[in-house]
Amino acid sequence: MASLPDSITALIGSLGKLPGIGPRSAERIALYLAQAETGAVKQLAQGILDARDRVRLCEICGALTEASPCALCSDPRRDAGQVCVVERPVDVLSIEKPGTFIGRYHVLGGKLSPLNAIEPGDLRIAELEQRLQREPILELVLALGADVEGDATSFYLAKRLSRPGLKITRIAHGLPAGSGLEFADELTLSRALEGRREFL
Amino acid sequence: MHLAHLRLRDFRNYARLDADFSPGFHLLLGDNAQGKTNILEAIYLIATLRSFRGVGGAQMIRRGQSAYFVGGVVVGRGEHEVKLYWSARERKLSLDGRPVRKLTDYLGVARAVVFCTEDLQLVKGPARSRRRFLDLLLSQTVPAYLALRQRYALALRSRNSLLKQPAPDAVALDGFSRELVSAGESLIRLRAELVRKFSPLATLACQRISNQDEELRLEYRPSVREDFGVELAQSRAQERLYRTTVVGPHRDELQLLLNDCPAAQFGSEGQKRTVAIGLKLGQAEYLTGFHGAPPVLLIDDIMGELDAKRRAGFLPLLELARQSRGQVFMTATEENWPRELGGNLQRWGVREGTLQSQA
Ligand SMILES: Nc1ncnc2c1ncn2[C@@H]1O[C@H](COP(=O)(O)OP(=O)(O)OP(=O)(O)O)[C@@H](O)[C@H]1O
Ligand SMILES: [Mg+2]
Ligand SMILES: [Zn+2]
Repeated sequence: MASLPDSITALIGSLGKLPGIGPRSAERIALYLAQAETGAVKQLAQGILDARDRVRLCEICGALTEASPCALCSDPRRDAGQVCVVERPVDVLSIEKPGTFIGRYHVLGGKLSPLNAIEPGDLRIAELEQRLQREPILELVLALGADVEGDATSFYLAKRLSRPGLKITRIAHGLPAGSGLEFADELTLSRALEGRREFL
Repeated sequence: MHLAHLRLRDFRNYARLDADFSPGFHLLLGDNAQGKTNILEAIYLIATLRSFRGVGGAQMIRRGQSAYFVGGVVVGRGEHEVKLYWSARERKLSLDGRPVRKLTDYLGVARAVVFCTEDLQLVKGPARSRRRFLDLLLSQTVPAYLALRQRYALALRSRNSLLKQPAPDAVALDGFSRELVSAGESLIRLRAELVRKFSPLATLACQRISNQDEELRLEYRPSVREDFGVELAQSRAQERLYRTTVVGPHRDELQLLLNDCPAAQFGSEGQKRTVAIGLKLGQAEYLTGFHGAPPVLLIDDIMGELDAKRRAGFLPLLELARQSRGQVFMTATEENWPRELGGNLQRWGVREGTLQSQA
């Protein structure tokens, strides 16, 4: 049986490791790239390298940015008294979309997951504790997913971060259970933010 | 509800099968090891996405092949096309041409109840088989049940994984305990409610098919006595010892009592079988009452092995299926099929992975 050239097989292997790309898509993309115009392929490769080079995590909030601190953290019009805590950098975009939240953010970089060996030390919780000492934060709005791990993490944060003068709230449920913020539409999210309640 | 079409590719000993089925009674006749039960297994798979033989996907792929396909057209409220593809690398499930994202969106499209020799496990087997029976019946009647059950399972596994650590973080453990308790309390409530409604049906079904005056009674014995949260906290010492969660719905028992004695210990072999069939008949009747239409009934072999009285106990259910344009698939060998069921049935010959109508 004829087989594919080694370089294409290797490319299929790399593409197949990307999120959302199954074995068949990986093969299709690899075959396409191997036969596409050289200029376009170079541009794609350069684009990937550039993005990887320039993008980093904001040293304050942990969101994706090219300049650290990020635009949100350096915007003086944002309310420094409110910090919205989310799991992943993309969640910041979901909360920003309805435009109703005027505070700042903190990205944890995940959620507690004993089954994947993700422990408190693997999340940006110590960084958040430092911010609580440094910044005039009056309210933490927990906006984690409503799945088992998201809820357990919210509880953990509420316990660990509780201190006098700090209000810890959590966005209202009604978010699709068991899924992340990206599945919630804008209206649901802005309602969830409005309907937030004090935790515990 | 009925299965109007079944399509198999490389499923068990079927390389290719395309068959149309009308509502009503289908008798699959054939020698041993020809593929009768495999057809029932495929139909059950469409309804529950599981094999009633308790095996995984790999075993159902035709030997020497790398994937199986099972497709069907189910007619109930509306008509639905189901496609199921399984290989070690990829699983696909689609409903009416669209990939199914959440199982809860799928289950309910087809409902089936199977009667097979493995049912004896309900009586003789560990508590797990009886919990699975309750869970299946609940997922066939309470749309949110499956998601709740999965939530509980994830909380339990997460928690157990924490308990395996040398010094688990107490606050993180509390976080997962809360999830466990909140999902667990709902499970307990739903199971208790189900048993209360289901038990009388099983009792009646059992009376119909038993030879003596036996009374079957179902008793739900939850692992939690009163307050899950409190009892979970009280079990910490034991948890530290066993490094696992020792109290909760994953330890529930459904006690089967025959004249007030546990059937597994005190019942004769014949009585155990009566209880198992009674549970299944009860399940079919409960689903019929709940949904207003009978599930597809899959009856594997057992008719031939039953005495006349027990066979007769099936007749009301079969009659109900007939009246409401339901569907029954029954397997038998040429010698032992229940002839009293008469002429009003479609006969099929099963031979070496082929199905032939014997009109
Ligand atoms: N994965 C598989 N690939 C190929 N053949 C298989 C596979 N699994 C089972 N078989 C074959 O299917 C046949 C058994 O089919 P099935 O269990 O449906 O038989 P049956 O007609 O119900 O027989 P019986 O009357 O003994 O119950 C056997 O010949 C077995 O070797
Ligand atoms: Mg068989
Ligand atoms: Zn920032």
